[in-house]
Amino acid sequence: MSYELIAILMFSSMMLMLMTGQRVFGAIGFVGVVAALALWGTGGSDIGFSAAMKLMKWYPLLTLPMFIFMGYVLSESKIADDLYKMFHVWMGPVRGGLAIGTILLMVLVSAMNGLSVAGMAIGATIALPELLRRGYDKKMVTGVIQAGSSLGILVPPSVVLVLYAMIARQPVGQLWLAGVFPGLMMAAFFILYVVIRCRLQPELGPVLPAEERNIPRAEKLRLLRSGLLPIFIFAAMMVPFVNGWTSLVESSAIGALTAFLAAVVKKRMTREVFENSVRNTLGISCMFMWIILAALGFGAVFDGLGAVRAISGLFTEQLGLSPWTILILMQLSFIIMGTFLDDTAMLVIVAPLYVPLVHALGFDLVWYGVLYTITTQIAYMTPPFGYNLFLMRAMAPPEIGLKDIYGSILPFVCVMIFALVIVMLFPQIALWLPEYVYSK
Amino acid sequence: MPVFIRRYVHYVDKFNRLLGRFIMYFIFVMAGILLWSSVSKTFFLPSLWTLEMAQFAMVTYYIIGGPYSLQLGSNVRMDLFYGGWSDKTKAWMDAITVLFLIFFLGVLLYGGLSSTAYAIEYGERSYSAWRPYMWPVKVIMCFGLFMMILQSISEFFKDIARIRGTEI
Repeated sequence: MSYELIAILMFSSMMLMLMTGQRVFGAIGFVGVVAALALWGTGGSDIGFSAAMKLMKWYPLLTLPMFIFMGYVLSESKIADDLYKMFHVWMGPVRGGLAIGTILLMVLVSAMNGLSVAGMAIGATIALPELLRRGYDKKMVTGVIQAGSSLGILVPPSVVLVLYAMIARQPVGQLWLAGVFPGLMMAAFFILYVVIRCRLQPELGPVLPAEERNIPRAEKLRLLRSGLLPIFIFAAMMVPFVNGWTSLVESSAIGALTAFLAAVVKKRMTREVFENSVRNTLGISCMFMWIILAALGFGAVFDGLGAVRAISGLFTEQLGLSPWTILILMQLSFIIMGTFLDDTAMLVIVAPLYVPLVHALGFDLVWYGVLYTITTQIAYMTPPFGYNLFLMRAMAPPEIGLKDIYGSILPFVCVMIFALVIVMLFPQIALWLPEYVYSK
Repeated sequence: MPVFIRRYVHYVDKFNRLLGRFIMYFIFVMAGILLWSSVSKTFFLPSLWTLEMAQFAMVTYYIIGGPYSLQLGSNVRMDLFYGGWSDKTKAWMDAITVLFLIFFLGVLLYGGLSSTAYAIEYGERSYSAWRPYMWPVKVIMCFGLFMMILQSISEFFKDIARIRGTEI
């Protein structure tokens, strides 16, 4: 049997196993070890365990539990309540202002944790009910929260970029810095969209009534102080890192402990919050780690077959496509796959296939990391099986149906694709900051 | 269900729950090691042992915590079709596919045992300035994998019970 055929067989049996609804790590791991045993006999039996050892040696992975813990502390302890109030008071008098405030809130939450789940939880439970009560259009605000929370994986710290770094063998620090400007640019596009939409149709985002806007200046300034907390947490994490005092991993631990202490100082760390954060951190970390473990084993077999070279040869030599056409095709296929595959599975299965290909085509892998993350964001949000869509359904108030959620994301997906194209055309948006910082 | 199966499920679940609830506080152990690492690097001499100790703690955390995460149901499934099935169909499918999971874990453990045997026999050490022995962490990993298999078998029994319309 040719190696290409084995590769295709492995890939399709994995898809089939995933369809059965077994735990993702079990499905991937099973196909990996069976293929290893079939190819190399008993010599293939240690491939699973050596994947576990490889995972242990991969030091930056320690950031994963840290950021997950941080995300849970922030969302469970409701530290973000005050932040929301701040934006509410300051942005209320503007048309569509609360929606803009929500996007800004999401940017701050993204700067404090590396996954989109925390932003989603904060947005859906704190901001969404308020926005609906003020007569904001439910489709628009659902979209705002989904799009805004997806920034969590692009704005540093980002767990997705940590995993990407592992696969692409690129420095995490550069990747994180590369995410800064594209993330802010995308947030600016979202805000622009809301402003334009509300100018054309003022009924979508009414201004706050006069009696609610009548808040004493002292109170307004007091609320502004709550914005210091996320800046403080972000600084505690990033300043020692950028100055080279601590490594990335150590910074993530400092960030996690700072968030924890902030919750304690604010008297929000009740027994229940503590229990939930610690327990869920274990659950989610185990989920990630076991999937990565299984996928590393699977990938080792795949690498052993030389499947990637075969695929890239097929595209460039036999079909004669230009590198840019292949890149665009890859992003498109990625979005399509992302609508069907689970997010983490997609990350660990698809990235090992694409990243070496991108490298072979001569593109910058840090730049591609940003493209990759934006594409993941889009894939999370697109129906019928976007991961964020289901999260939103689970967390949003009952009057928001699946249909509203599906309808809400369309304009934002267009905005995100626009942002993706901009970053593709102007790589300097992503690459300027890391080059500036690291060339010093 | 026969009494011994019920006992098995009861004790395995109870033990793994205790284990998981103990190990979940390792998040603070990891954070503590990393914090000490940054403090010692900034103010004193950098410690040699922190990097690898943090790695060992992380592996312990997710391998020993694995069985509890199975109990909590935190492991994602692709619910494209699964989500739409009745509870009974889900139990049927799980009862079959969990055997694949057990097979995977079995191969992991097999590789782990031979690697551990090697590490003990030859006194394998890590290639670093600190040069820790490798066998303790490998023994911990094998123990975790073994408990993971016991927990998967317990899940299998629970699926069977669900097919028969009872609960354990």
